[in-house]
Amino acid sequence: MSAVDTPSAPARPTRPGGPPQSHARRRRRRSASSGGATPYWLAVPSLILIIGLLGWPMLRMIILSFQNMRLRELFQGIAPPWVGLDNYTRVLTDSVFWTVTARTVVFTIVSVSLTVVLGLAIALLMRRVAPSVRIAMIVAMMFVWAIPQLVAAQIFRWLVDSDFGVINYLLTQLGLDYVNHSWFAKPLEGWAVITALVVWAGIPFIAITLNAGLTQVPKELVEAATVDGATPWQILRNITLPILRQLIIIVTTLSVIWNFGVFTQPWVIRSGQPEPGYQTLATYAYTVAFKNNNYSLGSAISVITVVLLFGVMAYYIRQMFKIGDVD
Amino acid sequence: MKRKIAVAAALAATMLAAACGSSDDGGTTPNADASVDGAGKTLKVWLMVDAQSGRKNVVDEANARFTQATGAQVQVEYQQWGDHLAKKDATLAGNDVPDVMELGNTEMPKYVFNGAFAELDKNQFENSANWLTGLSAPCEYEGKTYCVPYYAGARVLIYNTDLFKKSGLEAPKTYADVLAAADKLKADNSSSKFNAYYMPGRYQYAGLAWVHGSGGEIAKQEGEKWVAKLSEPGAQEGLTKWKDLVDKYSVGDKTKNEVDQAQIFAQGQTGMMYGASWEVGSVQEQPKDPNDPDSPKVKTKVHGKVAAVAMPEIPSFLGGSNLAVVGKSQNQDLAAQWIKVFTDTKSQELLIANKVLPNATNLLDKAAQVEGNEASAEAAKSSWFVPMAPKWADVESALVIQEMLGSIASGQASPAEAAKKADDQINTILNS
Repeated sequence: MSAVDTPSAPARPTRPGGPPQSHARRRRRRSASSGGATPYWLAVPSLILIIGLLGWPMLRMIILSFQNMRLRELFQGIAPPWVGLDNYTRVLTDSVFWTVTARTVVFTIVSVSLTVVLGLAIALLMRRVAPSVRIAMIVAMMFVWAIPQLVAAQIFRWLVDSDFGVINYLLTQLGLDYVNHSWFAKPLEGWAVITALVVWAGIPFIAITLNAGLTQVPKELVEAATVDGATPWQILRNITLPILRQLIIIVTTLSVIWNFGVFTQPWVIRSGQPEPGYQTLATYAYTVAFKNNNYSLGSAISVITVVLLFGVMAYYIRQMFKIGDVD
Repeated sequence: MKRKIAVAAALAATMLAAACGSSDDGGTTPNADASVDGAGKTLKVWLMVDAQSGRKNVVDEANARFTQATGAQVQVEYQQWGDHLAKKDATLAGNDVPDVMELGNTEMPKYVFNGAFAELDKNQFENSANWLTGLSAPCEYEGKTYCVPYYAGARVLIYNTDLFKKSGLEAPKTYADVLAAADKLKADNSSSKFNAYYMPGRYQYAGLAWVHGSGGEIAKQEGEKWVAKLSEPGAQEGLTKWKDLVDKYSVGDKTKNEVDQAQIFAQGQTGMMYGASWEVGSVQEQPKDPNDPDSPKVKTKVHGKVAAVAMPEIPSFLGGSNLAVVGKSQNQDLAAQWIKVFTDTKSQELLIANKVLPNATNLLDKAAQVEGNEASAEAAKSSWFVPMAPKWADVESALVIQEMLGSIASGQASPAEAAKKADDQINTILNS
């Protein structure tokens, strides 16, 4: 993902258990001193952009989901008929949709957990290594981060290709029978490959952000705890993690939002024709809309996906406000 | 999230285009014989990329003749197969449309049914009485003609002559010969990567060819309804026969389709494969830069060691392309005229020289005389085609057949189980 979705600045956690009563006072002062309509005028350009690029297409999509738009209407410019909730009924009573939803949820849980745990582990490791090694790690991760999803997915596709892939070659050299092994015959193995790709590409953002957060952990606190005989595990659980808590919540919600809408990786790895076992909500909506030319049904699926994500997004926005308050 | 927005935006853009595009006033059939003064006009033609990489001289020659006759210029844009349908859907929804469009013959019915193209007068086009039905049937709807056959392609048995010679084998003449040759090749070549007969698991035009070879069918129209027939005895026999071949002689990835097969054959570790006629060339010479069809060709390991025959006892799927005049085009007469020039006997003879099958039966014998064309011309004589249902393209895009074949090849389902599932899906899609 690009930086557009990332919080504009890494959150600066306050001292653990900082006094909450000061927040209210500061907020009151801020709103009192702000100058009239100026802030609103300053926000207008970005609002127009958001409404034009996001709001309008969203609105069209919602309208479309209550119509029945097929190729005939598209080619001949006929107004599509209104069908009320038919598309939603069809989607919600279709077992395929629920299978795809369940698959997307499971994938999101597994991939986000792996990304956050591994990202945190790498961030902790970065605090322990020599500065030169740390810089090397950051540079390496920046490269991973900089590779476009499409390119990364192509690379992984070739790595695991059954006829020409280097993974099969290496496993065979190790004495295992992986000649012409197909990684995508069983969806579980195939999803392991896709998850590996998504986690690999997701780690840099989390590791670098959490590393920045870790620099804020007061040394004295850790030293004091060590003197009191705390084990490293206790220090991690009782000092480091509480300080990082806000930040971890933010990167986790962001990862949930990104991974829930996963499209490029399964799409490219399955050569633009994902089998039923490799469909996620995003690829499924696209397939229904643009491959089967059922634009309205595809819109309905997209709208439902957005609604499913609203909970997560509301939580994310609340956390953002909380951090804003702390600032 | 952002991807979803991208999808929504694309959708909205399409919708917007649709909202602006007023419907054409219909009017009369484009006239390919009208004398139009095309001076100063430019005809926009969308052809598929094969016309550029494999037979550009046919396009150039037809354009020159067309410009001479009408005075109009021709601007040809070459499209990639990958996602061309989504691009064409969006374009046809707008007003800035090309005048002539090429589509694969299996893709055509959906567009004809939904009114994307202008009706044509069949009699104005040369050889129209003898058009190959696999190509012309998708152009017909309610007794009217909406497109013109352009070229055909057949699938043939491609084999490595070097390996055949080493094992003392001759070109197979019956299906039993094929199996005997595969047995011998397998016995003589011990490498674990060796394919006596390479057959990827999700190769729908192979699996369905075996179905037709045993007298089976995909689906049939019974009254108003379409009824899928893959569970019937003939189809089952074909699928089982196909599975035996995959199990015994192919070590390739069971989940792949046929797109990689030319590269795999080019490695020299494959005795036989079932390929499109032009693949005889592409296994022997490949562009140095795979992304640039104009880059110099390099010879592969099997260069000069490849031959083809019609696959015995397995009728070939008749693939190919058709050309249509876009309904919203402002230059319909010119467009029809260009198609007329591009598909006349002279152009077709040039096509044949490029080892492509022509669009009409009376030209097939000529095609058979061109060296390297014998096998495909022979194969085209016994051919089959997908069901002529308007929704057939949806069955293809839903990957129903590929899924069925893939699960049979990988052993996840028996031919009966897989066919039952596919039949249900086909019935739902075709009758929806």
